[in-house]
Amino acid sequence: MTFEWSIIFESLPNLIEGAKLSWYIAITGILGGLVLGTVSGLMRIAGTRAVGGRTYGFSLFLSRISQLAAFSYIELIRGTPIIVQAMFIYFALPLLIEVVTGLRGIRFDAVTAAVITIMINAGAYMAEIVRGAVQSVNKGLVEAGMAMGISRLQLIASVISPIAFRRAIPPLGNQFIISLKDTSLFIVIGVGELTRQGQEIMASNFRALEIWSAVAVCYLVMTSALALILRFIEKRMRKI
Amino acid sequence: MKPVIEFKKVSKSFGETEVLHDISLTIVENEVVVLVGPSGSGKSTLLRCINGLEMVTSGDLVVNQIHLPRQKRRVREIRKEVGMVFQLFYLFPHMTALENVAFGPKKVRGFSRREANHIAQDLLDKVGLGDRGHHLPSELSGGQQQRVAIARALAVKPKVMLFDEPTSALDPELREEVLNVMTLVAQEGMTMVVVSHEMSFAKKAGTRLLFMDDGRIDEDGDPAELLLNPQTERLQNFLRHVGY
Repeated sequence: MTFEWSIIFESLPNLIEGAKLSWYIAITGILGGLVLGTVSGLMRIAGTRAVGGRTYGFSLFLSRISQLAAFSYIELIRGTPIIVQAMFIYFALPLLIEVVTGLRGIRFDAVTAAVITIMINAGAYMAEIVRGAVQSVNKGLVEAGMAMGISRLQLIASVISPIAFRRAIPPLGNQFIISLKDTSLFIVIGVGELTRQGQEIMASNFRALEIWSAVAVCYLVMTSALALILRFIEKRMRKI
Repeated sequence: MKPVIEFKKVSKSFGETEVLHDISLTIVENEVVVLVGPSGSGKSTLLRCINGLEMVTSGDLVVNQIHLPRQKRRVREIRKEVGMVFQLFYLFPHMTALENVAFGPKKVRGFSRREANHIAQDLLDKVGLGDRGHHLPSELSGGQQQRVAIARALAVKPKVMLFDEPTSALDPELREEVLNVMTLVAQEGMTMVVVSHEMSFAKKAGTRLLFMDDGRIDEDGDPAELLLNPQTERLQNFLRHVGY
């Protein structure tokens, strides 16, 4: 048994196709998750001191509803395995839609299901990252903004977000990398991503050592690229 | 004399603990009120009730014709007219000194970026930091940061300025520059409420001295007179403690 470099070169085109798909699912899902996570992270602490103080009347009602909705979403996603979420979205959701609305045949293709899974999964974890970062902003700074009489939205946009975002970058980067690697789970719903490509090549030539080494290196290259992008963003921010 | 701030039998509780008991107090235009008292006496809470950072529990607090707690949804209208300076400055750390001062005019008063920067530059000049506009707060000394914070509050064009122990986080030699700016603001006729232990400021710039103890206002009078002739034993003791 020798390590055959030629095996790697032969399978490289297929692996790169798989890596491209993994990258696409991860980036689309992460960007969607970032939006979802930011919104639900803020909803989770709506109407609290961290985002501009107490609310009254109807807005108090709205902030309680927001808190509950965000809390339920986060707990549901964090409390179930991502592989179950992928299976549910791909196989069970069309049936659920049929039961509820009577509409048949509404289903996502596997890649769309994969993107949605990453989005809602990463979104829940990012929501907690956003919440933590926002709550870590010095209460005095929030009060200084409030004391000037700016609106809640202005306070969040101009004071809280810029400070919270800097703090959120390292844990967000962590989540980006986790989500990228989580795309390997979509082998179970038949998405032709990197891991599945490796599995298929392996099944035809049984060169486990070469193929899994190559697959691992491909993931490593992609996660390093993500880490580099994040480090670049962090460096470009004004030091505070 | 037009009343600007009126406490009518105002109480404030945090949970079970009442920290302000039945406060009645009227502050009129151009008054410079210095609020002193031992820690935990409720002076900071009283100050923070004025701009609604703490909501009063009962009674009627009228600021800028808005009644708290009845009209608590309109607290933002009060805050636009009441500037505040904090013990720990709390400049926005991601903005330069100029951006900090221009923030209020831009966001609260709707000035254009250019106009806001102009207002900010004038105010930085006034507090003696005209050449520091491009510095981040972390690049300024404590005294400089506090002067920028005063400029930031003034930039919104408030009718009243609140100061919450503005010099107690500063080294003695830096206090003077902050107190000088505050004296300047007082001389221009700003209505001010100052929580401070700076008796020299009270005597020089203050028009009224309040001594608070245990959530009540125990003494209320002319600063020079009260400092010379403290009526209650508590104030006498307190003055000894702060080294006056």
